[in-house]
Amino acid sequence: MIHRPAYPPRETRLVMRSVLIALLPGIVAMSLFFGAGVLLNLATAIVTALLSEALCLKLRHRSIQPRLSDWSVVLTGVLIALSLPQAAPWWLTIAATASAVILGKHLYGGLGQNPVNPAMLGYALILISAPVAMTTLWINPLNPPDVEAAWMAFIGNPSDAYTGATTLELYQSEFSALTALEAKQHPLFANAQLGFIYGYEWVALAYLIGGLWLLYQRVISWHTPVGLLATLLVISAFFSVDPDTATPVWVHLIAGASIFAAFFILTDPVSGATSPKGRLWFAIGVGVLTYIIRTYGQYPDAIAFSVLMMNFAAPMIDHYTRPRIMGREASIKGPGGQS
Amino acid sequence: MAEYQIRRCDRHLTGGIHPETHKQLSTAEPCVFVETPTRLLFPIHFSGGGPGEALVRVGDPVAKGTPIIRCQSGIVHVASRAGTVLEVTDHAMAHPSSERSACIVIEPDGLDRQDYLSPMNWPFDAETLRERAIEAGILGLGGAGFPSFKKWSNRTQTLIINAAECEPYLTADDTLIRIDTHSMIRGACLLSRTLDIQTIVIGIEDNKPEALEAIECALKESRSDCFFDIVLLDTKYPSGSARQLVWLTLGIEVPTGSRSVEAGVIVHNPGTLAALSRAIDGKPITDRIVTLTGESFTRPKNVIAPIGTPISHLIAATDTNPQSLHSVIIGGPMMGYRVTDFSAGITKTTNCLLAREVEVQPESPCIRCGACATACPVRLQPQQMVAALKGDALNRAIHEGLGDCIECAACNAVCPSNIPLAEWFRRGRFEMKERAREHQQASDARDRFEARNTRLERLAQEQEAKRAARKAKSADALNKARKAREEIS
Repeated sequence: MIHRPAYPPRETRLVMRSVLIALLPGIVAMSLFFGAGVLLNLATAIVTALLSEALCLKLRHRSIQPRLSDWSVVLTGVLIALSLPQAAPWWLTIAATASAVILGKHLYGGLGQNPVNPAMLGYALILISAPVAMTTLWINPLNPPDVEAAWMAFIGNPSDAYTGATTLELYQSEFSALTALEAKQHPLFANAQLGFIYGYEWVALAYLIGGLWLLYQRVISWHTPVGLLATLLVISAFFSVDPDTATPVWVHLIAGASIFAAFFILTDPVSGATSPKGRLWFAIGVGVLTYIIRTYGQYPDAIAFSVLMMNFAAPMIDHYTRPRIMGREASIKGPGGQS
Repeated sequence: MAEYQIRRCDRHLTGGIHPETHKQLSTAEPCVFVETPTRLLFPIHFSGGGPGEALVRVGDPVAKGTPIIRCQSGIVHVASRAGTVLEVTDHAMAHPSSERSACIVIEPDGLDRQDYLSPMNWPFDAETLRERAIEAGILGLGGAGFPSFKKWSNRTQTLIINAAECEPYLTADDTLIRIDTHSMIRGACLLSRTLDIQTIVIGIEDNKPEALEAIECALKESRSDCFFDIVLLDTKYPSGSARQLVWLTLGIEVPTGSRSVEAGVIVHNPGTLAALSRAIDGKPITDRIVTLTGESFTRPKNVIAPIGTPISHLIAATDTNPQSLHSVIIGGPMMGYRVTDFSAGITKTTNCLLAREVEVQPESPCIRCGACATACPVRLQPQQMVAALKGDALNRAIHEGLGDCIECAACNAVCPSNIPLAEWFRRGRFEMKERAREHQQASDARDRFEARNTRLERLAQEQEAKRAARKAKSADALNKARKAREEIS
C-alpha cells in the first residue's frame, strides 16, 4: 500500500523525482516495442541536458550543484528523449536538448522563469529545422531493430526496414484516400493482439499507469489530463461520424503523444496556467488546437505547437480564472447562509 | 444549568493544512505560577493598544494594579507586581520589529500591595463595561492585541469564543479553559447580557477533549440564561483565524475590508473573557498564561507569569539554561516571530515561547506548482502574489488579493521550494498599509487646503458683499441728502 500524501512532496527535488519515477513504466514499454534506440536517446539527452545546464549556470555565475541535483533538468532531457523519433541520430537529440535547456530555460532566467515548456520548445525547433528526420525516423513497432541496428541508427545510418511514419501521419497522408475498413487492412492493425494498433496501446497504457500514480501522489491535479483527453475524445468523436474521412477516436487518444502529454507535458506548472480552473481551460485549449493541427495542419502530431501556443495564453487564462477570494463579492449573510 | 448543545461543524475549511500539533509536549506538566522576577519591563509604545505615555516617573512606588501606561486608544496598562520604578529606558522588546524602544522597568519588592479597581455590581450598561475594559487594560489575549472594547457594538447578535487554538504547539487557551472555565463563561455571559446577545458560540478543535469536558461541567453549574452553541471543529490549521471561524461556525463570510463586528459577530479569545470577568471584580490584567514549549526546553509546560517578565526568566522556569538557546519564537511556529534578546519582557499578547531546532532548507525557485494555492484558506494564489512582490510590483500583488491575506503562513508550510511566502506577504502588507496611510495623509492635506481655499474665498466674497452693501448704503445716503437739499432749495 502506497501512502497517499495530503500534499505534494515537500521539496521541488522530490516533485521532479516523482515525475521521473512515474515515467519509468512508459520508458520500459517504449524500449520493449521500439527497441534500444529509446534508451540511447535517453542517455544522450540526459547527458546533454546536464552539461547544458552546468554551462549556463557557470556563465550566469550561479551555483551549479543545487540545480543539477534537483532533477529538473534531467526531467527536461527525459521528456525530450521520449518525444523524439526512436531512430533519431545523436545530433538530433543533442540539438533538441541543448536548445531546450539553453534557449527554452536559461535565456529566460532558469528554473521557474521560462514562459514556455522547454521540452516542447526544443522539440518544435528541431521539428521545423529537420522535418524529414523528425517525420521518417519513427520505429515500426511490428519490426523493432535489434541493439546493433539501433546503434547504427543512433550514429546516423538508419535503415528503411524498421523506420517509417507514425500512425497519425499514416492517417493524414496514406489513409486519406481509403475507407475506414481499407485502412484497417494495414499490417499495423492486422497483427494487433488486442485490437488497436500494435505496440502503441501498451505504451499508452504504461504512461497512463505512471500518470495515475502521479495523480494519486498529488504531484499533478486531475484538471490537466482530464481536460486534454476529454476534449480530444469529444471533438474526434463528433467528427468521426463519417469514419471514412476522419481519424478514429482511439487513434487520437492512443497513437500520438496524447496520454504522455496529458500527464507529463501539459502538467509543467511553470509555463501552464496556475489555478485549477485555469489548468482545465489550458488543457482544453491544447486539445482543441491539437485536433485542428492534426486534422488540417502540415505536421502529423501537434501537441508541441499547441502547448507552446497555450503557454502564451496562460497569463490571460490565469487572469480570468482566479478563484473567488473568500470575502470578495460576498454580502453579509445570516446564520445558515451558504457561501 | 445553562442551555447548551454540542455539534460537529458541518462546514469544511477551504484549504488549510494538517501540521503536527505537538500539543502534548506542554500539557503533560501542570500549569504553575512562576516566581516573581527581579525586573519587570513594560514597553511604553508596544504593550498593545497603540503608542502610549508613561503615568509614572523614576522612583515612584507602584502597587500591583497601579496604572503605569495610558495608550492612544485609552487602554491602561498596570504594574503587574508591587515595587519601584527603577528606570525608563530604551530596551529590547518582545515585538516582531525586534527594535529597542522606551520601556518602564519596575523592580518588584516582593510585597503584596494592591491597587485594584472597585468591583462592579450588576446591572451595568455597555458604556460602564467599556470604561472598565479600558481601565483594566483588556486586549485580545490571543495574540493580535486589539482593544476589546472597540468590538462591543450594540448591533451584535453573536459572541464567538475562539477556543480553536489551531496553531501547533500552543496550549495556553487549552490550559486556561481547563483551569479557569468559570471565569471565561462568566465573562462571556456578562458581556452578552450587557450587549443583549442571545447566542454564545464556542468554537473548539476536536483535539481538546479535556477542555471540552471542563466547559460542559462549567455550563452545567452555570445559571446563565444564554444559549451556548459548542461547535467541534476539525483539527485543521487555520480554523482559529477569526474570519475562518466565523464562517465555520455561523456560515457568515465576512466581506473583504470589513471586520466581523460589522457582520454582527464578536470574536473573543477565552483568556480575554476570563480577564474581563476578573476586571468586573476589580482586577486589571496583571498576569497571563504562557506556553513554554518546544523540543529545546528541558521541561516544557504552561505557566502563569506576570506581564513584563523577562523571557530569560521564563526559559529558566523550564529548567533550561537561557544561554543554551540562540533564539525563541514568540507566538508559535506558523505565525510567530523570532526573538534573540532574552532580556525583553513579555506583553499581554505573548501567548507562547517556542524553542526548537529547525533545519533551514535552502530556498529554490518557484515552479508555480500551486501547492500554496491549495493550502490557502482565503483561496488566494500565493504563487502569483509572491512573483509580483519579488518583481517589486506591489499594485499587482494587491490586485491578486494581498489585502485579503490573513498571514497564516499555511503556504510556507507546503511550499516545495521553501520560499518564505508569508514573510513576503507580511512585508508587502506593511508596505501596502504605509502607502494607504500616506495616501490618506495626502488626501487629508488636500482636503484641508481646499477647505481653506473655499473658506478664504467665502470670506473674500462676504467682504466684497459687505463693501458693496456699504457702498450702496453710502450712495443711497448721498442720494437722499442730495434729494433733501434739492427739496429745500
